[in-house]
Amino acid sequence: MPALVLLFWLGSINNPVSSKVLFNDEKFLTEYSDHQKMRERLENLVVEQPELAGLTTLATTTGGKAIHLLTIGAGDTKNRPALAIVGGVSGDHLLGSELALQFAENLLAMSQEIKIRQLLDSVTFYVFPDMSPDARSQYFADLRYERSYNDNIVIRDRTADPDKPPFIDLNGDGMITMMRIKDPAGSWMKHPEDERVMVKARSEKGERGEYRLYREGLRADRHGRVHDDDVRGVVFDRNFTFQYPAFQPGAGPHAVSEIETRAIADFLFDAKNVYAVITFGDANNLSEPLKYNETAASARIHTGWKRNDIVINEMISQLYRKHLNDALPEASQASNGDFFQWAYYHYGRFSFSTPGWTVPETETETPDVYKSKELRFLRWAESNETTDVVVPWTEVVHPDFPDQQVEVGGIIPFAMKNPPYAMVADLARKHTDFILDVAALRPVIGIVRLEKETLGRDLHRVTAHIMNKGSFPTASQTGEILRWKQKTVIRTTLDNGQQMVSGRPVEVLGAIDGRSAITRSWLIHGRGNISIVVGAESSGFSEKIISL
Amino acid sequence: MNHSIIKLSVFSLLFSFLMMPLQGQVADGRAVGNFFKASGTPVDPKVSVSWNRYYTNEGLLEIYEQLVAAFPELITLESIGKSYDDRDLWLLTVTNKNNKPHDEKPGFWIDGNIHANEIQTAEVSVYTAWYLAEKYGNNSFITDLLDDNVFYILPVMNPDGRDHYMNQPNTFSTPRSGTMPLDDDGDGIAGEDGFDDLNGDGHITQMRRRNPYGQWRTDPNDPRRMVLAPPGEFGEWELLGWEGIDRDGDGRLNEDPEAGRYDHNRDWGWNWQPDYVQRGAYLYPFSLPETRAVRDFVMDHPNIAGAITHHNTGGMLLRGPGAREDERLYLREDVQVYDALGALGEKIIPGYDYLVLYQDLYTVYGGQIDWFHMMRGIFTFTSEMFSRYYLFNEEPTGGWGWGIHEDYFTFDKHLLFEDAFVPWEDYDHPQFGEIQIGGFKKNYIRVNPGFLLEQELHRLMAFTLFHAYHTPRLEIVELSARDLGGGLREVTAVIANTRLIPTHAGIDLRNRIERPNYVSLEGGNVLAGMIVQNRDLNVVEEQLREPAVIEVDNFPGMSTVTIRWIVEGGRRLSVTVDSAKGGVIRKDL
Repeated sequence: MPALVLLFWLGSINNPVSSKVLFNDEKFLTEYSDHQKMRERLENLVVEQPELAGLTTLATTTGGKAIHLLTIGAGDTKNRPALAIVGGVSGDHLLGSELALQFAENLLAMSQEIKIRQLLDSVTFYVFPDMSPDARSQYFADLRYERSYNDNIVIRDRTADPDKPPFIDLNGDGMITMMRIKDPAGSWMKHPEDERVMVKARSEKGERGEYRLYREGLRADRHGRVHDDDVRGVVFDRNFTFQYPAFQPGAGPHAVSEIETRAIADFLFDAKNVYAVITFGDANNLSEPLKYNETAASARIHTGWKRNDIVINEMISQLYRKHLNDALPEASQASNGDFFQWAYYHYGRFSFSTPGWTVPETETETPDVYKSKELRFLRWAESNETTDVVVPWTEVVHPDFPDQQVEVGGIIPFAMKNPPYAMVADLARKHTDFILDVAALRPVIGIVRLEKETLGRDLHRVTAHIMNKGSFPTASQTGEILRWKQKTVIRTTLDNGQQMVSGRPVEVLGAIDGRSAITRSWLIHGRGNISIVVGAESSGFSEKIISL
Repeated sequence: MNHSIIKLSVFSLLFSFLMMPLQGQVADGRAVGNFFKASGTPVDPKVSVSWNRYYTNEGLLEIYEQLVAAFPELITLESIGKSYDDRDLWLLTVTNKNNKPHDEKPGFWIDGNIHANEIQTAEVSVYTAWYLAEKYGNNSFITDLLDDNVFYILPVMNPDGRDHYMNQPNTFSTPRSGTMPLDDDGDGIAGEDGFDDLNGDGHITQMRRRNPYGQWRTDPNDPRRMVLAPPGEFGEWELLGWEGIDRDGDGRLNEDPEAGRYDHNRDWGWNWQPDYVQRGAYLYPFSLPETRAVRDFVMDHPNIAGAITHHNTGGMLLRGPGAREDERLYLREDVQVYDALGALGEKIIPGYDYLVLYQDLYTVYGGQIDWFHMMRGIFTFTSEMFSRYYLFNEEPTGGWGWGIHEDYFTFDKHLLFEDAFVPWEDYDHPQFGEIQIGGFKKNYIRVNPGFLLEQELHRLMAFTLFHAYHTPRLEIVELSARDLGGGLREVTAVIANTRLIPTHAGIDLRNRIERPNYVSLEGGNVLAGMIVQNRDLNVVEEQLREPAVIEVDNFPGMSTVTIRWIVEGGRRLSVTVDSAKGGVIRKDL
């Protein structure tokens, strides 16, 4: 790759010394980790602490890349509460993978601390650092562009050549930015405040468009049309079953059609111990909790969180705001077919998602009437001495539009969604602390007291007081109605010769709220030991034996 | 996917060539050996099959192998995958293999036995393959059908379930699923409390107990039958459910059978919903090996233009949608095709009604017909074979009355001589004490009695062949050239679709599911190409790039499309029509 055309940038608010962008700095490439480097970092963790960390390859993508799972915990990791931490649900979100991986690195680095060590004896962390490795690799490729689809190519424009990239790098800078074609019928114009930014003309205000706007180097089809959707493969975060966006770009041939989506769904359905899923992705229900909507929550196919689950979302959101403080990312909506909503609606677990970072608002005298994200980004970049993030508009020749004025320019790919690498460590520390707090609130089932009363002639009443000592309930309200969320079960085993006069040898229980208790009693005739086991993988098991 | 194809011996190939029958109708006014022909049925078939009994998976495989040996030029046998219990999913491809590759012909998909207990659906699928092969070469309708079209027939989608139904104790309604154990009662243990065949007869029937406060009393007209006591009166029996014991002590019977509760017909990719919405759904679309194998095959064969998936029971030809909210996506032009086919179905299969699934039966999310129609653009019916109608050829009244209605008793008594009923017998039950066990056998109520089987197989097959006949048939009905002077020629091709089904369903066009049809001109330098919308008034739409290959979005049913090129030079011009669902045809000028 010609080094001169690289326009890399590096900036930081935490480290003013290196806040100037280092134009053409090769080091930049080595900071966000590519697939190989990420694997090495994962392997290092396992080599250093094999008793606490295990690395599994769940599947290999069409592009030949591994879907990694790092399991962290000591001892029997399967029969106690677990958190799933998922990064790379969107392939252009390099930060999400870093936050997931650095959580694992930070946690294992602290494993000598007594408090952390105790946690690792009682909680399991399933860390999926990158669910979109095919897409993420585009950041490290010779032609750099933002991409979220995998290498399982499904080209909707059937005249396109699947072996060629969807774009032509018209200005030869190794990146795909934007392309504008001068056209009085176009709907885009230059931002009056900043000519580098394109905005939609407000025709109702008498503004006129002057350009058509596309991503750089898109081709025209047999009918001379340019397809705005350049999505060729399948997008991880649009391929799940909840409100699956059939036939939309990147949705794939049907829900859970892909190696990546199947790999994580299959693993998680088997992992009965997961009580909550934390996703680093586009959706955000942590900066602001979701709001209760009775109509949506009570519909036959419910599309809103249940009331009790909203309460938990509020509790966890408060915790998140405490940890992120002035670095709080902007709230954002979930989208159809995404992983975050699947984890709640169809997997039945508490599900939390955050992008980890968004471009902060910069205080200016003139509010932007166009609410342009690009302008917001440029203002933030300038106030943070982060420069060289824009390719100036330059005229080029496009083979499909030889007689029209075509210009290439705009903000460099990945910059708006991923902060300068130097900011990542601090964000990762904040998120690590947050996740550890969520782990501390896990549901923990226990038989807190087991009592017997003798009623005479070897007839005994045995009463068990069962408590959820955690703050999370043993199941979300949605988990309660989903078949694949294991319910809490009480099982009573008698000695030979004993007889159960009343009560049930096995009972499937409803959810037990955090810090709440229930009691069950049995009438038993005869002497000997009675064993009572209660629990489920996601809240742990508790066994007590009593002699009659 | 492991596709193992049965290889044919050279000998059987040679043999069959020598024995190739004469084309066209055969003189059949005289006896053939010891047989005299009944109209419409092969008089002396090469493969003799009794169509009044049911075949195990092994029995069916034997028939497939005989068919392949007898008709090597027509039938291919392959396994398209493995079931949960590692059984082969056997698929028969039926077509004339000698004229063109099967994937260049419009395809028709047939499957049966997706639901384990609905066993006659395999027999109707095999009957179809058998009949096509036996009649090829001595009936012109069938001969044309196999020359022009290809049938992909999967008689048993759920072989584990078929085997379980036949070889394990079951009711007439179980199992519906395959044999994967699931924790149906949610207690953390899978399959620990299923049926118990207490009397050891292989049928799971009813348990009843004498009870002076019961709701049921013996029918005075037939002591085998019970009727509800009139309001305000007690009966003499209480019903205790299907044969079983509460094995896990949770106070319930038979609630966690060893074959888990799941449904292959809720595992498809359109509008899939989880189990709390759609009972029987598994993890996500195509999360079962059997449906996944079918998905792979159908995705790999975009030539499939029509399909039927066989079920029991009720006497129905169902179309989608499975859910009300998809009604608007069954577009008018597509519904018109279904209506035309369904009307003939009602006529030729007395006792069958043409119905809309969600509206006339019940809601199904993630069902097979919706995936076929909505996501593959394939015109698809579900059959529901057999119903109470066939007991006395009368429209049943008063609900389905499965196993309770007196018609079942009368029919069993006078036509089956009580062969379908397990007489009530005393039994000492460990939890209920003195009880009686008895009731209808699993091979009654939902599957055809032997003597009623062949007729329904034939009628339903006839409907299927009519449907398959109406998959697109493309013909280049005109190919002409006109000299424009200055070395230019205008070439015009008129392409007709002479059947009801379009190459692209309305839903296909709306969602760009299948590639367009390509009509290409070879042999000259094409300067311009266009679709002629009105030939008389010269209204055309030009294709701007690559004019030699014109993209045609659709060849609608029973209509023509006109294509025109302006060509420079070239002597031997030829036109190829390449359509995913309409096949590949070619004509020289």
